[in-house]
Amino acid sequence: MNLTVNGAEYELASPPLASLLYALREEIGITSAKAGCQQGGCGTCTVLIDGQPRRACLTPLLTVDGASVQTVEGLGDADNLSPVQAAFYEHYAAQCGFCTAGMIMAATALVERKAGATREDVLDALGGHFCRCTGYVKIVEAVVAAAAGEVDTARPDPQDEAGEPEVVIPGSPA
Amino acid sequence: MAKRRGRGFAMIEYPTGMNQGGDPSQAWIKVKPDGRIDVFAGTVDIGQGSKTVHTQIVADTIGVPYDWVTMDNSNTDSSPLCTGTFASRGTFIGGNAVAVAAKRTRERILEIAAKEMEIDPSDLEVADGEVTAKGAPDRKLSVSDVAAAATWTHGEMITGSGAWMKPYSAPDPDTGECEPHAAISYATCVADVEVDDETGEVRVLKLIQVYDVGRAINPTLVEGQIEGGGMMGLGLGLLEATYPYYPELDNRGDQFGAYLAPSMEELPEMENVILENPSAEGPFGAKAIGEMANNAQPPAICAAIHDAVGVWITECPASPERVLRALESKSEPRRVGKRVIYDEELSVAKLSSTGGEGFLRVDQ
Amino acid sequence: MKAVGARLPRYDGLQHVTGQSLYVDDVRVPGLLWTKALRSPHHSALIRHLDTSAAERLPGVHAIITHEDVPVNVVGHLAALGVPADEPLLAEHEVRYLGQPIAAVAAESEEAAQAAVDAIEVSYEEREPFLDIRKAFDPEVPKLTPEGNLFFYEPHQERRVRKGDVEWAFDKADHIVQGVYRPGAIEHAPTETQVALVVPEATGRLTVYSCTQAMYFSMGVVATHLGVPLNRLKFVGGTVGGGFGGKVDTATETIAALLALKAKWPVKWRWTREEEFLCSSVRAAWHVEIADAVTTEGWILGRRTMTLHDAGAYTRFSSYGATKHTFHLTGAYTIPNVAFNSYVVWTNHVPTTAMRGFGVTSVSFAVEMHMNRIAETIGMDPWELRLQNANRIGDTAPTRVTLKDPSAVPTMLAAAQAAGVELAGDYRTMTSEPRAGRLLPEHLASQVGDLGSNGGGQ
Repeated sequence: MNLTVNGAEYELASPPLASLLYALREEIGITSAKAGCQQGGCGTCTVLIDGQPRRACLTPLLTVDGASVQTVEGLGDADNLSPVQAAFYEHYAAQCGFCTAGMIMAATALVERKAGATREDVLDALGGHFCRCTGYVKIVEAVVAAAAGEVDTARPDPQDEAGEPEVVIPGSPA
Repeated sequence: MAKRRGRGFAMIEYPTGMNQGGDPSQAWIKVKPDGRIDVFAGTVDIGQGSKTVHTQIVADTIGVPYDWVTMDNSNTDSSPLCTGTFASRGTFIGGNAVAVAAKRTRERILEIAAKEMEIDPSDLEVADGEVTAKGAPDRKLSVSDVAAAATWTHGEMITGSGAWMKPYSAPDPDTGECEPHAAISYATCVADVEVDDETGEVRVLKLIQVYDVGRAINPTLVEGQIEGGGMMGLGLGLLEATYPYYPELDNRGDQFGAYLAPSMEELPEMENVILENPSAEGPFGAKAIGEMANNAQPPAICAAIHDAVGVWITECPASPERVLRALESKSEPRRVGKRVIYDEELSVAKLSSTGGEGFLRVDQ
Repeated sequence: MKAVGARLPRYDGLQHVTGQSLYVDDVRVPGLLWTKALRSPHHSALIRHLDTSAAERLPGVHAIITHEDVPVNVVGHLAALGVPADEPLLAEHEVRYLGQPIAAVAAESEEAAQAAVDAIEVSYEEREPFLDIRKAFDPEVPKLTPEGNLFFYEPHQERRVRKGDVEWAFDKADHIVQGVYRPGAIEHAPTETQVALVVPEATGRLTVYSCTQAMYFSMGVVATHLGVPLNRLKFVGGTVGGGFGGKVDTATETIAALLALKAKWPVKWRWTREEEFLCSSVRAAWHVEIADAVTTEGWILGRRTMTLHDAGAYTRFSSYGATKHTFHLTGAYTIPNVAFNSYVVWTNHVPTTAMRGFGVTSVSFAVEMHMNRIAETIGMDPWELRLQNANRIGDTAPTRVTLKDPSAVPTMLAAAQAAGVELAGDYRTMTSEPRAGRLLPEHLASQVGDLGSNGGGQ
């Protein structure tokens, strides 16, 4: 089996019916795609196969022989985030982070397919992705912002918020 | 044959810290030769953001920029004990522990600075990475220079460590008297729903959620709890059931889609309001929110269902089946003298073969 | 610039969005073995026969453990609080819930481990399960222990809170409103399932990569099972894919550690999503019966409750959770005369554990639904009923703690404003200030506490 992952070519030894998720995590060592359920029900294993978002846990290797796979490691790094990555960072769309890679890949495919995607488009494209921490609010906000091009991909600075005056409470060790 | 709208609300409270106390957190801090701060704490970040909150507390308590502080909670060899991330104790107790360590670190910085500047430490203050003489802002020394002086001139280490705990309080076994918590948070949730009276399905349209968290160390992280908790409460109230026919064991779901955890499609409109009523003992007045975040939605939603279609659902989840059965039965409470008795068919008196003998019951 | 109060980005935000956050399952070590467990297919049964010898001979199998391999098999999670230990790490002569682990295998692949599990010889004698907590005292139901199906809160069967004079309250009341509330058992369902990876080090120590929410607590549990001091273990973690209370139970670490010690190779136990849904501990189902003594003016003179908590097959943290529950049964309201009784009941359901709001989630549901019934019975607006009875500065909680700074009223007023609800009369401008005037009827006067006392209770 041959596979291109994030631009690098691999000749795989994993059995043809092994899942793409298994090959990525156990053979190649790319761990951003997660084994959240291995039932196709949570989306944490989502990667792009020839640009399309797919559940790696349900994808037998032999069906992607020769294909080009992209994972979140191939989107960008800390100094050069992709628009969707930057949007997730700015909008606090990750809490525990376990669902984040899958969400970002599915969102990337949506944003590339449809500039100006609406909230309804986001719910439709990402509705099969499970998140237990965030309640989805900031994820949807992030993807809508990325689709609208409202993201600064230069690494966002901490917001300098003057805020309320310092309140010192008697008894607080601070 | 209609979709009916309704509104309900619930007002709740929740304690900070493990019930009855006795749950310490510890932290220790060292300062690198260039003034950067290393914090070692044991609080696990399960997504709630404790690493972020603790770093903010340390930065302001010592008086250095936020990005001078690194947080290591990764292992038990270098990190001291934290009882755990539960009972809504991470910001309050975990935060107090890092605050104590930070305060002691700050005192050591001022001690060294005092030697270097030949000014009494009580006449010095630290902010934004600089030690300044009170009332004489041109007399200053950067924290980086203080750290370098400590390391290379004085041969000393700048560290600070500490712990925080509310002492254990044992309850009186007859009355329950004790001191169970260091602080209490309050919240109110208003739910707007739409009930389909033909299918029993309930859709939550909007949640308005107000939380008093004492002090929002990071308001966006607080919103994250409100929103995440909101969806978890929606699941608890409407969708989720380990045992769909509790107490019977059949038809358990073993995959997503068979177990109905909320998806993006159930997301209602959410309006969040954060109130700050500072606590006496929390770091910067903070209290807690993490655990209570999913407590107010189930009763608010069930109250809204009653407003919409006139039935009380008192078993969670308020599944379509339960809603339809309630609509069919149109049950009214039984009145006996001044007693108004709801839900009799669910009670121990009805289900136990002895009428509930052995229990101290409320109807006796 | 101040950090506290600022919307600073997450400390781990960049690593999350670049896929660099390392969870237990992402740690790579050479020679890793995979784990599968033999789990009870029955809700309640005696184990008549267990033989792992055939399984041990299968290819790729490096170690199999049963209860005989565990130095201290029964360790209580709340032993430090004096709660008796009742749960075996690996089943001994019986199983009390479907999914209970009986044996565990470490092998070179998940498939090899599962084949070995399937080759373990085991036979059971099924028993009728006990399921309905309402029947806990009934003589004809199966008993999980020789003492019966209820936890004993020395010196009483139940956790008790008593304050004031409920008899007076129920006698004086215009109405007694009774209701039954049953919030159900649900899953934590984190996106990351239970997982641990244990590496035996050359020094003789064990490095335990754990998804625990409580590093030192879990380290203590493993150390106690193994009979070793804490410095034989190094727990590594701190980054967890969601917990919500379900990752305190230390569900994988000890078994993985024992397999690693026996196999002398690193061992990982990663639960499948099926195991997570069917075998992991859950939020408890609760049964709360409330009877409130109320007046036509909307005062709650007294409250009596009886709570049944479904602990599932073993105690775990249930005695703590039911205690916390009982202390909060007045909700956010000041009720001076109370008698609360809470029972922890063992059943053949999956053991229950802490989940977000532990103990108080059920209070919030029961009390808030009950307030609506009271409002319906006396014909009072539900906002007004709550505002009148809501905690004020100086009010006393059932634990006798004096409330120094409750914020029940401000959160309600803020919610009413956000929701466009028009409050009438003096309700619109109510505060948390100590009770006075019409908000201080005679029956509440005696419960006003000393604000200068106790350090607890905010």
